[in-house]
Amino acid sequence: MTVIWTKHGIVENDPWIAGDAEKAPKLLSLADALAHAQDNAPFGVVLQPADDVMALAPILGQVAIIALSFPAFSDGRGFSQAALLRQRLGYSGELRAVGIVLLDQVPLMLRTGFDSFEVSHAPTIARLKDNRLPGIDLHYQPSADRTEAGQSYSWRRTAIVNG
Amino acid sequence: MYRYDEFDHAFVAQRVSQFRDQVERRLTGEISEDAFKPLRLMNGVYLQLHAYMLRVAVPYGTLNSRQMRKLAHIARTYDRGYGHFTTRQNIQYNWPALKDMPAILEELAEVEMHAIQTSGNCIRNVTADHFAGAAADEVADPRPYAEILRQWSSVHPEFSFLPRKFKIAVTASERDRAAIQVHDIGLQLKKDEEGRLGFAVWIGGGQGRTPILAKKVKDFLPEADLLSYVTAIMRVYNLHGRRDNKYKARIKILVHETGVETLSAEIEAEWSHLKDGELKLPAADIAAINAYFAPKALDSRAEGWAELAAWKKSDPDFASWVGRNVAPHRHPDYGMVTISLKPIGGIPGDASADQMDAVARLAEEFGHDEIRVTHEQNLVLPHVALADLEPLYRALLAEGLATANAGLITDIIACPGLDYCALANARSIPVAQEISSRFGDPARQAEIGDLKIKISGCINACGHHHVGHIGILGVEKKGAELYQISLGGSGDENASIGQITGRGFEPDQVTDAIETIVDTYLAQRTGTAETFIECYRRIGAVPFKAALYGSEAQAA
Repeated sequence: MTVIWTKHGIVENDPWIAGDAEKAPKLLSLADALAHAQDNAPFGVVLQPADDVMALAPILGQVAIIALSFPAFSDGRGFSQAALLRQRLGYSGELRAVGIVLLDQVPLMLRTGFDSFEVSHAPTIARLKDNRLPGIDLHYQPSADRTEAGQSYSWRRTAIVNG
Repeated sequence: MYRYDEFDHAFVAQRVSQFRDQVERRLTGEISEDAFKPLRLMNGVYLQLHAYMLRVAVPYGTLNSRQMRKLAHIARTYDRGYGHFTTRQNIQYNWPALKDMPAILEELAEVEMHAIQTSGNCIRNVTADHFAGAAADEVADPRPYAEILRQWSSVHPEFSFLPRKFKIAVTASERDRAAIQVHDIGLQLKKDEEGRLGFAVWIGGGQGRTPILAKKVKDFLPEADLLSYVTAIMRVYNLHGRRDNKYKARIKILVHETGVETLSAEIEAEWSHLKDGELKLPAADIAAINAYFAPKALDSRAEGWAELAAWKKSDPDFASWVGRNVAPHRHPDYGMVTISLKPIGGIPGDASADQMDAVARLAEEFGHDEIRVTHEQNLVLPHVALADLEPLYRALLAEGLATANAGLITDIIACPGLDYCALANARSIPVAQEISSRFGDPARQAEIGDLKIKISGCINACGHHHVGHIGILGVEKKGAELYQISLGGSGDENASIGQITGRGFEPDQVTDAIETIVDTYLAQRTGTAETFIECYRRIGAVPFKAALYGSEAQAA
């Protein structure tokens, strides 16, 4: 089973499930997205780890959702892609992690700017449904998520409860 | 030294419960071993040949007595009564049970310690000059910057799944005691013409299968820009470092394949977006961290000069210990004492729980409560009055900790090797022990002088053999152990990678080969003032090869 999870819980009837061509006819590759940017119909884009997220800059306003793919849980390029999308390009739309998404990576993904998750791993789904994330709410570095500064040193942040 | 505030305490406590939860989920099968592996590694837990191993972080090698006593307690309670100090200034325990790990981590947290990022493909424990804060030749104490980096890199969300492990070392003097040129990032703290502090930045050094010396990418990075510039390096590496082959995944390969000019231009471009952002370090924060490392107020102890002279005169063993193991402190009445963990015929870097307790007690009594772990697998008391050296020496002698061999041929670095390590191809420890025993005579060691032997049990080079004056690499050939010898390596400010002499040696021939090399040096040197490495650099490998291989050398 594949579900979409956000901080508000499981999303029913999500139109953008990447693995499903029927449901997600408009989740395009980077090349297709750049080619079809003139279309008026809403579309999403799914990037692979080697894709240059900066190439999306000219069409960001037209993109309904960006999915970043994790073909292996150990491939951490998506974390930097997310950081660039949020902090460099100022992308404020939905940013979804797809591929191998496991519980212990979710808190890190939230911090780098992901806000939705396509998850197939059953124990991960169970914990997410219970909203029991294994994260730490004290951070030694600024990042893309909403946090509070002012914790004695400039680089420290704390999580905002229910943020 | 740095003291945890409430934030640090709460962070480490949360990290411990996070790991406890991960262990529980592994034990119930919710996490596969594959997915669990990077999680446990990021908390220092390895699965070795015979047991789990826990590597505990000693940030930049600095400890106080209370922490050392806790390390002793853990060795006694959860292990077999000893621990092993490593080439990255950490300590590892070879026999703890997985179920005890959370309890050990809780004990460590009580004394402001942890095992965070001592392994895994993340930013590892930051290392620094073991004489920091005491050396006469440093520009400023490098440890505050190592501490800032330690904090910033802890559970960094963007850089926890890098292509490969990432090691940062910081030094603050021209004389490099932190081996910065063989690190992923090497930082040399320095001053510009106006006296402002900043860093020369080196990237892409490393050992392993492909030893490469680091390249300088910045001659002077202002201290305020430390985190933004390091972030730029990390981001470029995370996005572009190779992930198709773990042996080509370190940043050194990216530097090599991209070219340092192209890569440093990419780093500069990334940095231009970050440098004036939220990572810029306010002067007040730098000052606040520096305050934790304010120089010790050391009383004048001038009486030590005359006492030391008299003690040395009456006890030649004490005199040779002072000669080898005590280095000049910036305060003329004090010395920096190396406590050798290289007893003749012993296991390099091992210390028993009783020895750790003794070092803790002596640091309190004579050393202003400060202890360092060196990357050469020894301990240091960095602030000892000359007037206290004799009683300190007597106490160390009673604990088997007064071996007078710092920097000599028996001060060997060795990885754990096939006796413990799941990656090893060959044993390292017995090789070190045999060489140490063969050259154990103090007069003979003194005659040979400064000579660094470094031994690795596999190509991953944890024993730093590439930068040994004499390097020994254990390999496996047709099911048997074989040892390749290299010459001319160095990990200091004149860093160099050693060159392999030729065919390898069987285990029972290694010590003879080392003796042949040493005898060749003794015959060739211009005098006792010419050290082994200087002699090698003057005469090259040929005379050594001829001595090792005879007529074969010409044929080869």
